[in-house]
Amino acid sequence: MNRSLLTIRHLDADTIHEMIDLAASFRTAIMRGETLRPKDPKVIGLLFFESSTRTRVSFEQATSYLGYRFTNFSSSGSSMSKGETLKDTILTLRSERLDGVVMRHRASGAPFLAHQLFDGHVVNAGDGEHEHPTQALGDALTVLSHLKSIQGLNVAIVGDVLHSRVARSNAWLFHKLGADVRLIGPRTLMPTHGGLLPGRIFHDLEPGIEDADVVMCLRLQKERMQDGLMTSTKEYRKMYQVNQETLRWARPGALVMHPGPLNRGVELDDFAADGPQSMILQQVENGIYVRMAALHWIFAQPQAKKAAKATEPPAEKTSKKKSSAGAKA
Amino acid sequence: MKTILKNGRILDPSTNMDVVGHVIIEDEAIAEIGSDVEIEEDADQIIDCQGLWICPGLVDLHAHLREPGEDHKETIVSGTQAAAAGGFTTVCCMPNTTPPLDSPSLIDFLFDRAASPEAGGVFVAPVGALTKRGEPDRLTDLAALKRAGIVAASDEGAPIQSARTMIRAMEFCRQLDLPIMAHCEDEDLSLGGCMNEGSVSALLGLKGIPRSAEEIMVARNCLLSLQTGCRLHIMRVSTWHSVEIIRQAKYLGADVTCETNPQYFTLNEEMMQNFDPHFKTTPPLRSQIDIDILLQALADGTIDAIASDHSPHANYEVQVPFEEAPYGMATLETSLATALTALVHKGVLAPLELIRKLSTNPAQLLGLDAGTLQPFETPVAQITVIDPDLEWTFDVSKTFSKGKNTPYHGTQFKGKAMMAICGSEIYRDAKFDLKRLQVPAPA
Repeated sequence: MNRSLLTIRHLDADTIHEMIDLAASFRTAIMRGETLRPKDPKVIGLLFFESSTRTRVSFEQATSYLGYRFTNFSSSGSSMSKGETLKDTILTLRSERLDGVVMRHRASGAPFLAHQLFDGHVVNAGDGEHEHPTQALGDALTVLSHLKSIQGLNVAIVGDVLHSRVARSNAWLFHKLGADVRLIGPRTLMPTHGGLLPGRIFHDLEPGIEDADVVMCLRLQKERMQDGLMTSTKEYRKMYQVNQETLRWARPGALVMHPGPLNRGVELDDFAADGPQSMILQQVENGIYVRMAALHWIFAQPQAKKAAKATEPPAEKTSKKKSSAGAKA
Repeated sequence: MKTILKNGRILDPSTNMDVVGHVIIEDEAIAEIGSDVEIEEDADQIIDCQGLWICPGLVDLHAHLREPGEDHKETIVSGTQAAAAGGFTTVCCMPNTTPPLDSPSLIDFLFDRAASPEAGGVFVAPVGALTKRGEPDRLTDLAALKRAGIVAASDEGAPIQSARTMIRAMEFCRQLDLPIMAHCEDEDLSLGGCMNEGSVSALLGLKGIPRSAEEIMVARNCLLSLQTGCRLHIMRVSTWHSVEIIRQAKYLGADVTCETNPQYFTLNEEMMQNFDPHFKTTPPLRSQIDIDILLQALADGTIDAIASDHSPHANYEVQVPFEEAPYGMATLETSLATALTALVHKGVLAPLELIRKLSTNPAQLLGLDAGTLQPFETPVAQITVIDPDLEWTFDVSKTFSKGKNTPYHGTQFKGKAMMAICGSEIYRDAKFDLKRLQVPAPA
């Protein structure tokens, strides 16, 4: 199978470091005004089955800086809106001789299907409520621009963890790089059985962000209130808002992050969003460099010792032992 | 026509018989069984069954044959062929077809199709719809359906949400002496979910279905059965709380039986970690603790029956993102092998008890002429011959079912149906050793 970036969960720490280092070197090169001229420029399909201007623009920028070409494919106005299945779309794009696809989809796990069908490389640009690996890599690059190491940091992720792919990817990434991850939110917005997700669960903000070096806010969708998962934005603000007051519980100068788009005044106040601790705009910029790294990394020859871990989701340890009848071969 | 099954291990749960002996079939019916039966060499066919089990034909309580309306997934012809290959001689087909089995003419159509020469030769026992499609609170004409030949009524595919509607359904069915086969799902709680709510759904970002979505309806239906006296069969028990609720209902005297399906005691939620839609079922695959309790409940008799819940789909319907995939797996041709491998060879169930759950109990709880080897008890001999020790690898490309959606492809099994007899031989496995056949020269 071709090398793809589907999750942070299946990467090892070395691979994550490799990509962050690569991103940092791309940042340096671009700051110096260098132009990258790859010997073998790739053609990347940007498949946004769910609309996202920010991530798409970031990937477009990354592709251009790398000297690659991209072509856009969005589900509205395409064959998808005429009832074509994801499978047929992917098979068609394969025959269009794209080298790789970047895929955003509303269904968790959809890039796994694309990876099986597409005879090329796939980068997950966010799948449902599962993972958003390039967001987490960008966040890690941002943290490492200010702090020497992630090892030993206290990282607090605050808000709607249950529905957040950003939370999952970041929890895995910071956990794998040795941080103490805390997941903070109301019971209704937290997985009822967090067991397999890394991180300790808190339902109150204060103990959760105590001594935090990094405080990440998650976006609170309005539909959560309609579904009765949160009583009101007012209540959320009172219980979980990251602001000038509540940031006092964290380490002085703790980095404040948000994947955007912000609900200013809900997840964070103006101080947190615009103040000296805010990393929000740097996150956006670093997003470009890690996406360059991801696009470069999928086409690079895997180093022998890492190859197995980095490219293929490993056979899950649990699926082997549980059943006598066994799982699919 | 006279056929002799010679020297097999006869397993007949209807009389607790477990002996090595012979079975004589004469003119489509079982004429004699036992160890001291005299074998006259005047038979038309003698089959040496040494090392094989001779059992009453297996009865599948719960399969989806998809006709009418969804013959791209399965037809009566392909589904009955798959049933015979899986060792079943009777298959109960579920009513959630298009249109649903809600009128006598559709029941006639089913019987016609099942009797066609291309079909698998097994008996098809239709289960009628309890409510009309799109009208969740309007009952079908149950008396007319019963006259047409349904063996039970079910809310499969359209679980009855209103307790008041369910009470009325039970009152009618009690009067008609028709069991209700209940699909227990609170759709308010399961809304939008696609796998068990638990640590794996948290990991994958898939919306979970809480266990309570099943358990609340199991409890409700048991209580309503107690109140009305209606015979209730709970389909697809998957959680350990459901087991405990049913145990309690039986203790209270409810006329309730239940089944589970091989997928629920062999597969679990942790197998979905790469988003393979072949593992998507309703209710969803649960966790190891549920499997442990299901195995106990199979052993202690709380779970009465094992059914396939054969749910075939076309490949293109399954090759989609997990949450968009349909529920269910095609299991007619693996259920017996899965149960043999996971239950008998692991010491959970004795052979006789497995056959009880796959044949005698299902036949008795629906009042079918099946599930026994006693001479002349059933008008037509239904017999399954099983090689309990044959080791084989399941290859989905070789199945009879149109549905190739199975998580068991490539699985090693121990045990397989070698022959199915429904009056006469309807299925003989490719691995059947032809040396076992003796055809005496005509006198």
